[in-house]
Amino acid sequence: MESLKSALAISLCCALGAPVPPVTAQDSSAAGVAHPMHRPAYQSSQMQGDERILQALNRFTFGPRPGDVEAVRAMGLDKWFEQQLHPVAIDETELNARLAQFPAMQWSTQNLLYRIPSNAIIRQAINGRGTIPQGNILHAVYENQIYRVQEKQANQAEKKADQGGKAQDTAANQVQVASGNSIGQPAAAPAMSSNASMQNGSATNAPVSSATILNQLDQLSMPADPASSTQPAMNRAPGHANPPASAPSTDAAADPEQAIVADILALPPRQRVARLAAMEPADFDSFIKSLRGPQRAKLNADLSPDLRETAADLENPQRLVVEELVSQRLARDIYSNAQLQEVMTDFWLNHFNVFLHKNEETPYYLVSYERDIIRPLALGKFEDLLEAVAHSPAMLLYLDNAESIGPDSPAAERTKMAAARNGNTKAPEGINENYARELMELHTLGVNGGYTQADVIQAARVLTGWTVDQPQRGGEFIFNPNRHEPGSKKVLGKKIKENGEKEGEELLHLLVTRPATAQFLSRKLAIRFVSDDPPQSLVDRMAKTYLSSHGDISAVLRTLFHSPEFWSASDYRAKVKTPLEFVVSAARASNAQIENYQPLENALRQMGMTLYGCVPPTGYKWEAADWVSTGALVDRMNFALNLAANRLPGITVAWTSDPGNATLASDAEIPSPESEEARLEPLIVAGDVSVATRSAALQQFAAQSAQDNGSARPVAAAARPFNRNHALTALERQDQLLAGLLIGSPEFQRR
Amino acid sequence: MKLSRRFFLHKGALAVAGTAAIPSFLVRSVLGETTGTPNKRLVVIFQRGAVDGLNVVVPYREKNYYSMRPSIAIPQNKVIDLDGFFGLHPSLAAFKPLYDEGHLAIVHAAGSPDMSRSHFDAQDYMESGTPGVKGTDSGWLNRALQAEDANVALRRRCAGTCEQHSAFRALALGADVPLTLAGKVPAIALNNVNGFTVAGRGPAPSPAASAFEAMYADSGDHILHTTGDETFEAVKMLRDANPAQYQPAPGADYPNSEFGNSMKQIAQLLKANLGVEVAFTDVSGWDTHQNQGGVNGQLANRLSDFSASIAAFWRDMGDSAEDIALVTMSEFGRTAHENGTGGTDHGHANAMFVLGGGVNGGKVYGRWPGLANEQLNQGRDLALTTDYRQVLGEVVTRTLGAENLETVFPNAGLSSSRFLRLV
Repeated sequence: MESLKSALAISLCCALGAPVPPVTAQDSSAAGVAHPMHRPAYQSSQMQGDERILQALNRFTFGPRPGDVEAVRAMGLDKWFEQQLHPVAIDETELNARLAQFPAMQWSTQNLLYRIPSNAIIRQAINGRGTIPQGNILHAVYENQIYRVQEKQANQAEKKADQGGKAQDTAANQVQVASGNSIGQPAAAPAMSSNASMQNGSATNAPVSSATILNQLDQLSMPADPASSTQPAMNRAPGHANPPASAPSTDAAADPEQAIVADILALPPRQRVARLAAMEPADFDSFIKSLRGPQRAKLNADLSPDLRETAADLENPQRLVVEELVSQRLARDIYSNAQLQEVMTDFWLNHFNVFLHKNEETPYYLVSYERDIIRPLALGKFEDLLEAVAHSPAMLLYLDNAESIGPDSPAAERTKMAAARNGNTKAPEGINENYARELMELHTLGVNGGYTQADVIQAARVLTGWTVDQPQRGGEFIFNPNRHEPGSKKVLGKKIKENGEKEGEELLHLLVTRPATAQFLSRKLAIRFVSDDPPQSLVDRMAKTYLSSHGDISAVLRTLFHSPEFWSASDYRAKVKTPLEFVVSAARASNAQIENYQPLENALRQMGMTLYGCVPPTGYKWEAADWVSTGALVDRMNFALNLAANRLPGITVAWTSDPGNATLASDAEIPSPESEEARLEPLIVAGDVSVATRSAALQQFAAQSAQDNGSARPVAAAARPFNRNHALTALERQDQLLAGLLIGSPEFQRR
Repeated sequence: MKLSRRFFLHKGALAVAGTAAIPSFLVRSVLGETTGTPNKRLVVIFQRGAVDGLNVVVPYREKNYYSMRPSIAIPQNKVIDLDGFFGLHPSLAAFKPLYDEGHLAIVHAAGSPDMSRSHFDAQDYMESGTPGVKGTDSGWLNRALQAEDANVALRRRCAGTCEQHSAFRALALGADVPLTLAGKVPAIALNNVNGFTVAGRGPAPSPAASAFEAMYADSGDHILHTTGDETFEAVKMLRDANPAQYQPAPGADYPNSEFGNSMKQIAQLLKANLGVEVAFTDVSGWDTHQNQGGVNGQLANRLSDFSASIAAFWRDMGDSAEDIALVTMSEFGRTAHENGTGGTDHGHANAMFVLGGGVNGGKVYGRWPGLANEQLNQGRDLALTTDYRQVLGEVVTRTLGAENLETVFPNAGLSSSRFLRLV
């Protein structure tokens, strides 16, 4: 570590002494911003001037945006930091406009599970253990999903029994089962028509007449909010199913299916979605499958957020929840002005990790977990946060406490008696130590925090009965006294008297106030904010504040901010960015305008840091070693080039203020690569890059121009740029490549 | 083709290997002389989620097996008999020929001695190779390579070139380097061979790729500099090996699954002679608490994919399969009793597969502890009779020449005298 730090210091030091690339007169102001470090001539051990601003922005935000350094300088660093500690007062107009794209993210878990049903809810509906909403678009959502699940089952059955025609029967039977549950079904019973479509579904079938659907459409008035619908049961289109998974035709004009697609796409938004909802599940399925890429974009193009959600709900509800959860998180990370709150939200979500796919309900519970618990408490008292997490269905389910049963509890006694009566050999249900262990190991004391296996078992007994009411339907925390282990317990030498749910609260308070917890949390925060190997003096100071402030997270961060160790020059850019930090900081530095967050999520997945995707409760690591690998580096470089050249669909960056400006089209007027580099460097890297990086970025232009002249090969080859509505000027191509190289540079991998 | 220094020094013979006309046995012998290693390549597969070993290698003569698993047991007439006592799950049909040819060995009632029933802990313990010890930050496979490097006899034979290793020496198919491969020896991770290139594919690096290479090569940032070097070397090697041209051998029909794809890419990289010594990948979906199924169902589907992918890999490797050792493991087994939801819960011992040219296969190894109620671990799981480190210790000694097993598995007290003699 020491050698790394000094190597870095040397490279920074060399960069300082290096000649600034020549700039033209018109860029002199930009160049002035490029190297504004007010560093003293002597080698100081403390950061000075703008370096301090950059340090603060690098550590307390997801990376500076162009203009951030200037803004903080104008406000004053201390004032800016205090403002960050009080996020309520920060203006979030822009962010809120972006978050308005995801209305469902404001719903309760129960409402989410009802309106955007999980697979479990659909299976319940199929098995008759749940009801299917009647008379509105939700009905269509459920039916489409029932169809999808049954199609899948039928396909699997078909594969299995390829000797006989059993699969057809199975599918038909399953449809019949479903129809039994569709109480109060309108005359055109979907089960019947689905059934018919199974048997008759062939190419000889007449395609849906657009006139038929349009007629029905006239009778439909579409509520924007599906749940507020008081609409009587809608008539669904009769079942002229097209064969499922029919291949798209090559000639739209000659293909009736494509004619219908074109027809639907031409409808105004509300009618379009109404039309989708009115389709039979089988028809809807083949419609979706027949869509080509651009058509799919057009389908969603001008929909309001509510309508877009409805359309997505009709197609794949589970995907909708996950996509919006991830999108809103990235939107906040990138666009929120309350950056410290988002950084700490990320920190605590990782500290109190809950894996997205623990079970089918987890994505739904995560919405509220993040929104109602982690974010609001991220800068508050640690005890409040821990308490809320301990009561959260997300955590109780993830670490299995919801299933833990005291071995001598009334519930266990009943099971034992029943087993004895029936001669059942099944092992009795019992205690689950999973949460109790991680509560101590990962959430509070730390692995060396002085607890034993006996403490784990005792803590698990304390927490028996902390469970979730009807998890599949999105229920909340309940304390179930029947599952609670009777008697007093002893944890960490302290006796906890029998007291039901209150025992757990006593346990949490005990853990929160232990010095080991203060040390563990302070060290983890210091690793996040300072360096992979933070000085013990700093950790001690933070831990002291933690104890004296009764676990006030803001107070601990304030101590960190005001400690000399935080400003130690050797820790400037000492942290390697995690994939999330890299991707988000790249989007911020390039001022990206994002309609579609999926490419960012894909990049994170490739780099091994899927949001909410960490399986073990440890969360992702903050140390560099976990994030610097060959594959990851390749992914980072490619991401940088793709982002900078607008090759990520739905994400737009502009490196000139006037993209496509014809007056810059001629080569003679293009600013030199040197001056453009000097203009872009402070925007992107905010702080300087090494001579090596700068000269490597510039040198490739000679090679690129030679290659362009030789082979007319497009810039950076391969993928076609998206989001391009004009021919790129030579200047834009140059800027895109330069910016991509800067984002992929070693300097940008650090913060 | 510009050979990088490290590549050239280590695998001088590979320049020869690159020319397709040389028979593979000759290349092998040249390599063997150059490196002095036992010249085997080791493939490690981790089944994450704890596979139900009792339904994988079925003790179909155990009466209690059927009484404990009324709805999920594999009927006697459905198992693929191995030795009159054990039988394979019918979905493992692809393994039967390998077993009969003597290439596939099974170790039953094996696993980690730690009693943890937490996936997370148990995987960490198994991967670090230090059951019960938390916070070990390197993996057994990485330490096995360190032990190989420390093998004095090997070093003498390779005359100073042992320290030079291919960037592909330790390879993980996946987004990141797993704990199994973490440690001092550099390991690379990639999840898509065809995507492992900077700024587009082409016969030569693009100017952007060259710019990045120069930036990282000249960077004073030690960590990024080192990884950057390894990255560009690996990218270069892969480009020269031209993986886009790759066609699996006839009859090597990989399932179109994530695992099938990983196995295909491992074969591809092994066959490209890039200097891969150890390769790791994992496959998940084994945590069958609910609705596990019997002859058909959830577990059966996973097993089909599992065995078909491995069998395709074996066939794909053709001639050079002889130099391969492949070993599988899972963090723990599952309960001997089925639970109330048609599945099984977290248990203890499990079955491991060892496949390879030098494997003494066609046999189920390990002492069978029995399934009578009093023979079960804690009254609920298959008891453990073989520490998985005993199996892996033998494998790494015989394939990599990693003789100092105290390095690989500290405090395990392994000794070659207790090897099962399966390799």
